[in-house]
Amino acid sequence: MGYEELFPPYNMEWHGRATKRFANPFVGEKFERIDVDPIMLSHAAVACGYTIRDFYEKPELGYSCLVYMYQLYDLLPVGHWFYASPWLAELGCKMVQKDTLPPIPDSTPVETLEDVDKLEVPSEEDLRKGTTYPQYQRLYEYVQKNYPHTFVPISYGFDPVGEAAALCGVENFIMWTFTEQDAAHKLLDKFTQTAINGAYCTAKDYGSAMLVVASVLANNDIFSDEAIREFSVKYMRQYIDKSFRGGAGPQIFYHCCGNQETSYKEFHNLIWSPFTVIHFGYKGKDVFPSELLVKEFGNRATCMGTVDTKLLINPNPKAVYDQASKQVIAGRDAPRGFILGAACECPPYTLPANILAMTQAATDHGTYGKW
Amino acid sequence: MEAKFSANAKDVMGKRGLKEADIADVVASAESSNRKLSKNGTNLAKKRIGEVTMYAVYDNNGEVQSAYSHRMVLGEPVKTTDEPDISEWTCVHCNEKAIISSANMSYLGVTRTGPALVCPKCGDVWIEEYLATMTIAAAEGLFEKKKA
Repeated sequence: MGYEELFPPYNMEWHGRATKRFANPFVGEKFERIDVDPIMLSHAAVACGYTIRDFYEKPELGYSCLVYMYQLYDLLPVGHWFYASPWLAELGCKMVQKDTLPPIPDSTPVETLEDVDKLEVPSEEDLRKGTTYPQYQRLYEYVQKNYPHTFVPISYGFDPVGEAAALCGVENFIMWTFTEQDAAHKLLDKFTQTAINGAYCTAKDYGSAMLVVASVLANNDIFSDEAIREFSVKYMRQYIDKSFRGGAGPQIFYHCCGNQETSYKEFHNLIWSPFTVIHFGYKGKDVFPSELLVKEFGNRATCMGTVDTKLLINPNPKAVYDQASKQVIAGRDAPRGFILGAACECPPYTLPANILAMTQAATDHGTYGKW
Repeated sequence: MEAKFSANAKDVMGKRGLKEADIADVVASAESSNRKLSKNGTNLAKKRIGEVTMYAVYDNNGEVQSAYSHRMVLGEPVKTTDEPDISEWTCVHCNEKAIISSANMSYLGVTRTGPALVCPKCGDVWIEEYLATMTIAAAEGLFEKKKA
């Protein structure tokens, strides 16, 4: 029995509506309301009675949970399954499954500056024999067979600074950005090139590859604006530019998480495609204001406004509704469209009432023709 | 300058559904107007013909090396940074290095921003071959699917 048999038939009528709604920001249509994407991952498994570990250990189950829960919450017609540390296994990290976390690296293969030089970038062929890409191949085969209408081939560059730091230890990496900048750049370049090779594999096998790349560790709580430009934006650009040259794209999701209080301006220099979504988490301690997001980036990308993830586990749906409403009102006229999201992944134990509060805010304040 | 087509160029154009006469027109227009990009003896010319923007990549003898097209209509450049990366291409008309930047592009009534080469002086906008034949072609397909 496949995991899909644990779920009732996928509701194609709902899917048709959700697909039309999801197209709104990209083609300038105004069907129903502003869409909501709380960046759901293992919450879907938890909501279906499984565990966080199940979600990451059994991608096919995780995906089945996700597309089922999307129907309940009236979210997106496309699915995604990922964790924030792709390609590290191929670069020498021992990845371990945890009960309450996504897979995490349990070792730092780069201890010294010499190790940086010795680290080899896995080729496309290497990646095809590794861990990360075959996992996606299996999952994508499963999705194409069981949920073909929800399938989008996605390749993850994720957070180059965070992944480089995972290879040598976060403290080491941050220190190197001051004292051994060449080593920091080499490590970033090697991780980024690995992720690019992953994008090439996806583009070759599936004809295209949505690109997801982030700046998470590189935020103003740790780095200056200049350092974010030099160590994060530069490699995000490199990832997109080179991946495009190998046929990946055209969709891009830029996830700029953490506190991007003043560094948000650095991200103007990213590469933009006609199907780009940009997302910021926080400005200082506050959720990133949609007014500013739209003012800065609204003329070049679809803007994803945020609700504070901390609110999503608080038993106070009104607080979620109020913040979501404020963000929708501020972002709903964005020239390239607006999506309501959470500041980062919605927590596994997110209260369903809080997701309802988000969609209710999108309905009350983001229904086209009502404002 | 009269465009000449190698067997390889003819093969590429055939696969991309491009006519020799159109590409010859692209080359002739670029040479008469001096509106083209140049890089190490290679020229890049473009012209909107019907519903398609066609490009010719050719040398200084008019030998066409490649040709490609896109349906998106190119609009104005979108400034993204004060310190753009400089491309290897030079706008021959302005004698300025083109920058790696962004521009608005429209298709099926929708305008979005995409990657482009831009002359910082005259603001002319160009799409490189790898982008036109992969990223932009895929984007056109997505627009058609989402608009359907």
